Formats: sequence, C-alpha cells, structure tokens
Amino acid sequence: MSINERKWPLGLDKDDLRLAVTCFFGGLLLAVMTGPEGNLSSPGFAFQHSIFSSHVYGFVIFGLLLGALSVTRRKSKMGVWELPVSLRLVTVKEKIRTLTNTYPAIIFGVVAFIALIAALLVADFTGPLVPNKLSFGQLLHQFVNSRTYGYISIAEAPLVIRLVRTRLKKSTPAQGSIFSSNVATVIYGLVGGFLFALFADPWLPPRFRWSYFTFGGPSNNAFFHHWTTYLWIVMGGLLAGRYIFVKTSDIRRAKTQRFRRPRAEVSASTRFVMYAGCLFVAVEAPKYLNAFWQSTIYQQIGIFVLLAIGLNVVIGFAGLLDLGYVAFYALGAYTNAYFTGALPIHPPFILNTFFVVPIAVIVAMLAGVLLGLPTLRLRGDYLAIVTLGFGEIVYVLISNLTSVTDGAGGTGPAGGFSINLPGIHYAWSAALTGDLSYYYLLLGFMVPILFLFTSLNNSRVGRSWAAIREDEVAATSLGINPLKYKVMAFAIGASTSGVAGVLSSAKLGALFPSDFALQLSIFVVILVIFGGMGSIVGVLVGAAFLNWVTQYLIFHSFIDYQDADKFMYFGALLILAMIFRPQGLVPSKRRVREFEDEEAGLGSADALGTAVEGPLS
Amino acid sequence: MSTDDLIFDVRDVTLRFGGVTSLNNVSIQQSRGEILAVIGPNGAGKTSLFNCLTGVYTPQVGEIIFHPSQDQSVSIMGRLPHKVTQAGVARTFQTSRMFNALTTFENVKIGVEARHKTGPIGAMLHLPRRNREERESDQRTLELLAFVGLEHRMNTLADSLPYGDRRRLEIARALGTNPKVLLLDEPAAGTNPSEKLELTDLIRRINQEMGVSILLIEHDMRLVMSLAERLYVLNFGEVIATGPPKEIQENPAVITAYLGTTETEGVSG
Repeated sequence: MSINERKWPLGLDKDDLRLAVTCFFGGLLLAVMTGPEGNLSSPGFAFQHSIFSSHVYGFVIFGLLLGALSVTRRKSKMGVWELPVSLRLVTVKEKIRTLTNTYPAIIFGVVAFIALIAALLVADFTGPLVPNKLSFGQLLHQFVNSRTYGYISIAEAPLVIRLVRTRLKKSTPAQGSIFSSNVATVIYGLVGGFLFALFADPWLPPRFRWSYFTFGGPSNNAFFHHWTTYLWIVMGGLLAGRYIFVKTSDIRRAKTQRFRRPRAEVSASTRFVMYAGCLFVAVEAPKYLNAFWQSTIYQQIGIFVLLAIGLNVVIGFAGLLDLGYVAFYALGAYTNAYFTGALPIHPPFILNTFFVVPIAVIVAMLAGVLLGLPTLRLRGDYLAIVTLGFGEIVYVLISNLTSVTDGAGGTGPAGGFSINLPGIHYAWSAALTGDLSYYYLLLGFMVPILFLFTSLNNSRVGRSWAAIREDEVAATSLGINPLKYKVMAFAIGASTSGVAGVLSSAKLGALFPSDFALQLSIFVVILVIFGGMGSIVGVLVGAAFLNWVTQYLIFHSFIDYQDADKFMYFGALLILAMIFRPQGLVPSKRRVREFEDEEAGLGSADALGTAVEGPLS
Repeated sequence: MSTDDLIFDVRDVTLRFGGVTSLNNVSIQQSRGEILAVIGPNGAGKTSLFNCLTGVYTPQVGEIIFHPSQDQSVSIMGRLPHKVTQAGVARTFQTSRMFNALTTFENVKIGVEARHKTGPIGAMLHLPRRNREERESDQRTLELLAFVGLEHRMNTLADSLPYGDRRRLEIARALGTNPKVLLLDEPAAGTNPSEKLELTDLIRRINQEMGVSILLIEHDMRLVMSLAERLYVLNFGEVIATGPPKEIQENPAVITAYLGTTETEGVSG
C-alpha cells in the first residue's frame, strides 16, 4: 500500500507528515549548524560536542513544535478538526468544557510531549559519540531544570489561547458570550499580568519548581514576595480596564454617530495623563531597578529605541525598505569623533558634543537626501539592494580609510557629553552600570523625538505617506509628489540615526568599524517589524523586548550563549511573530487594516514590495 | 462654442507604444464650464487620452494646453502628473483606486490638503500654519462629503463602502484638489440604475454649483446623452465624429464603429 492510499488517523494525511518531518529536520539542522560552538564552517561540531546541551534539543523541539503547529493550523483551517455542531453548546458550563476540551490543543500537547521524548531519546542514543555521555534520566533531569521548558510553555500558551479563541469565534454567537463580557476581560488582564510577572526576568524562577511559588518562603525573591509580581498583575488589570473603556466608548460613539476627528480615540486630557504617567515611570522606575534592568536599559534599549523609531519613519510610515540604515548611524558617530578631535584628521575647532548633534543631524540628512534622490525612484527590492550597498560602502570606507578614521583597529576616545558653563560643570559618565546619567540624557533626546514623530504621522505629511504607501498612482493624481515625500522620510530617518550615532559614540568613546556592520541594520529592521511597522508604541515595545531578550541571554549566559547567537533566537522569534502576528506586537491601526485588506485580496500590505502597479485604467 | 475661452486645447496628439499607435492625430477642444464626453468602443484610446491629459503619458507628437483661467495657459506635455493636478486637473480612475485602509474622511482630506503647504517641520512642531490648515482641510472635507452625500459615512473605511458610494468618494477626493476641470473615467461603471441617476445629478451639480468643467468617459449612453453638451467619438485612436448628442446618435460612422457592420475598416496605425 502506497503512502498516498493509506488511511491516517485523526484526519491526517501525507502532507501533514511532510510538514512535520520538514520542520523536524529544520530544527535538527538549525541545532547542528548553530550550536554554541558551531557555525557554518564546522557543521556537526556542535552536535558532536554538546549533544547533551539543552541547546541542541531545544531547537529540535522547536522544529517539532513548529511542525505540529503547522499541521494543527492546517487542519483547523480545513475544518477537519472542527467540533461537531452538537458540541457547540450554549450554556456557560458547556462552554467552559469546550474551552478545556479543545481537540487541537490536546493533540498539540500530545505531539509536543512525544516530540520531547523523541528528542531526548535521540540525544540519548547518539550519546556514545561524545565522551561524557549523560544517561536518559540525567538528560531528562537537565531538561526539566533548563529554561527550554519555560520557553516551550511560553510558546505553547499563546498557541492554545489562539486555538481556543478561533474555536469560540466560530462556535458561539457574538453577543452574550461570557468570554466577551467585561468581567472576563478584566480576568484575562489579571491572568495576563500574572503570566507576565511569571516570565518577567530577573524574577523568573530559575526553575519552574512549585516550591518557588509558596507564600512566606525563605527567600526574598519568592515570586509572591516580590512587588513586581503585583505590579504586573495590576498593570494587566488596568490594561484590561482601559480596553473595556475604549471599546465601550467606541460603541457609544457608533451609536451617536457624532463627528470626531479621525484617530482621536481618547480625549486629550486622558492622553495627557497617560503620557505624563509614562514619562513619570520612565524617569522614576529605573532608579529602583536592579543591576540587570539598569544595564539592560542603559546598554541596549536606549540607543536602539532611537534607531528603531527613526527607521520606523522610513519603513513604517513611508513603506521603504532601507537596509543601509546603519550608514547614517556611522556618519553620526564619526562626525562626533571628528569634531571632538578623536580622528587623525583635525577639525578647525573642537566642539562640545551637544553642538555636534545639530551638525550630525545635518550631515546625516544630507547623506539621506543624496542617497535618496537617485535611488528612491526604485521600488521594493531594488531600493533595498541599493541601500544595502550604500551601507556596505560606508562600512568599507571607515574600515579602510586609515588616514581619516584610523581604520579597522578603531579610534577614540570620542568626546562625551558635558556642560561647561561658568559655575556649572557636569560631564556625563560613561560608567557601564549603576549610573543612569546617560539614560536620562537619552530620554531627553527620545521623548521630544517621539512627540515630534507622532504629530508628524498624524499630519498632512503622515497622511501623504500613507497615501503613497497604499496607492502611489492615486496619490500622484491628487497632486502629491511621491519622490519628495520619500526623500523626506529618508532624510528624517537618517537624521535620527545620526543623532543615535552621536549619542552612542559619546557613550562608548571608542569607535570600531565593526560596530557599524550590516547586522546592525538588519537588527534594527527586525526591531521595527517585530514591534509593528508604522506604530510608534509598537516599535518602542519591539525594541525594548528584543533588546531585553539579548540582554537576558547575555546576563544569564545559559547554554553557552554567545553574542553572535542572538540572531538565531531572533530568527526563531521572528518566525513565531510572522505566524501569529505578522502585523507586529502593537501594530498601527492603518497597518492592521492594510493586512486585513491583503487577506481579502485587496492590494498589498507589504509596503516593502512593489506598490499596486498596472495600467491606469 | 466659443473658441476664445477654452479650458483644454488638445492639438494633433499622437501617442505610440512601440509599434502600436494608441492615439492618432487627436484634437479636442473643451470650453470652460462645458460637460464634454468622450465615447468609443473598447480599446479606442479613451483612457490613453486621459492619461495624456493628466501627464501620465507624454505623447510623441502634438500639443496639450490647459488654461486654468482665461489668460493663463499651461502645457501639459512633459509635466509630471502631480504637477498637472496642482495646475487644476483632477481625475478619477476606471477601477476604483481608494486608499482602502483609510477612512472616508481621511481619503478626502488627503485630496484637500495635497495643495497645502505644511512641511515636516511645521507638522512636527504644530506651527500656526499647520493648525490653520488642519482646520481648513477638516472643514473643506466635511463640506465635500456633504456635497456628495457621504457625511454619514465619514468614519467608514473606504473598502467597506458600497460600490456606488466608492465612486462618489473618489469624486469627492478629486474635488478636494480644487480642480478647474474634472476628468471622470467611466464613473457609472458597475453602478445600479438608481445610483446612476444620483451620479448624473451629482455630476451636473459639480458642473453648475462648483463651476468645474467635466470631461467624461462613459459607456452608458443614456447617462452620456443626458449629461454631455458635446461628444467626441474615438475609434482606433482617431476622432471619427464630434458634435452634440443628437447628431452623434445619427452619425453613420459612429453606428458603424459601435455595431461593426463592415469588416473593411482596417486597424489604423
């Protein structure tokens, strides 16, 4: 009997097998190629040397989960695993049963469990290849004690929730469901906050031991003893409350049909209070954080948030893919180095770094315009390639122009920020931890930029970008000059990047060309896409989250993590994000609609691709 | 027709794509305030003509002069489409080209504020001009939406509008650019009879109340005959007849072009 004719249980077919197997081998390949020590030049090395590392089977399991997930999604979409009509029940009690009995969720759990055992067995049987082999029991122990388990839980939770949610949507009428009631929303919020507290480092339990959750335990770090646990729970509740508020007022608005300015969901006073609250938290909270969070905010998040909100103007607002973004960052950094006298060539006068900022803005902006004018007539992929080339040119130049930049060996120290007025002398310290002065400086640059860009997006300019992104031909027919607006977006993005470059060089002092390599451009693109193109809040959240991931991996140095490995983890995260939330963590409203339009076959949400073309009929 | 107050003066325009001649020696004159229709069978070159008039295509031969007012003249030849719009020529498209993810209000507002001056700096810093222009464009947008009868749909997304409403929205958006002449490319395509009546009324009101000249491509003969003061008939890229609707209906060349009674008429170009 051939594989095609065979009857499979549970409505599976050979395509499902193919999917699962592909994903399994994908995970295996990923594990082999990207082990702690391995890279593409020594395939198999990681596998031989660290078969007992949770790293390897972590990725095998990731592949398997992905396979199982694709199968489940496929089946649910095809309706194979739909609940029979008789099970779509109306009473509350039975609804809860549908919630817990959701078929795909169970299958998913079973598949995940089998995958786990299989991965451990594979690890066990290949054990003899390595010198100090662990027994199956030891492997199991190590696995349970490793964080992989935690990540799987994190990955599984949204899956199950999503599956259940799609089921509920289909099986119950929209009104009157307890799952859409306000009480339920608050409960969801609280549970969400609790889950977040659970996973939020550094109070993440090193192991998911139940003893960790006991009240009144010996350690001050016990989960329920830590104030942040309650903070997050309250935060979840508040978020849920706000959601309800917005939703209710939406309904009321729809009923009364009164005129409102588009995009003004919350009243100005509420918004002001919200902004002030955010600012207050941003100023006050870091003081009370521990070393991990301080260094996370200080080392990582600040500069990258700045880079990401700048790139968001280019990618999110104007819909142009810029892969050479780091070039402007380098320009800003080297402008600072030049004017503070750190380069072999000397400036006519040495400037305080504060005065370098406007110069760097102008330099980066000019570079953006010069690059943009000839290239922005190109579209989509071509633009990406040209900007990529530009980034590489700048990189090669600063690596090799030894007489100007000191070449690949790096240069420095570039001047830091300082105030030298009669009576006032203050220099921002570049200490690595424990000193938040640069954080506040960054905040001082970031907050105004956030406000400026928000009002830019809600203005004539922002709407013109949206129009060009959606339909360039129609936008042109209204008298909008696409080239002008594209160059404008490019220049604004570039100047933000230039500011980030000055800040970063002032903080670090030393400049190395390797800091301005292509990876950084790609990383910033990931930040923007992950957070939600076009949404400033989304980009903030995305940049903060992914940088936290990086910092988390470094700080905990589990499974032999090395910095270069981070892209591997970002890859995995991005895959998950693209499956579940292609519009990003906190997408902009316009973008969500564009994605919906695309699913309905109307136009292209992929602003990075070509715009709607074709005859002007 | 008075020849001294033309709004569009198209002289001997020839447009070729490689070996295909899309327009051959086409001359069209439109007087200020006139509703003019261009009709013809499929592939006759009507939309190509529109694209020439809006600067999307540049004809190889000929001259297109647009007179925004009696003593001004602008050559459309070689002018970029957005410049043509800024000069006072607005258009709609044969297939609806809305900004689908934006609301009705935003769609029209983009049209209205395209001729405003606020730049990125003003927008970022909320300078006085920005605030004034926002107010102006909000108000103008509301007026236009009320004019076309879509004010109750203000916050609806463009792609969830019914087809007839989408047509009206597109017209409102084009009117937002404050045109002297409005080019409508098959505005009634795909609309039902009652929507057609409303549309006829709307086009007449645009012409009379706003004083905008209308250049119309349309297949629906009843609509054309009731609206247009004068018609041009295009066939295979050439003007085969011109005149008031009554004359055109009886013109033998037009009847031949539409019904195709003879096979001997070769493809021109």
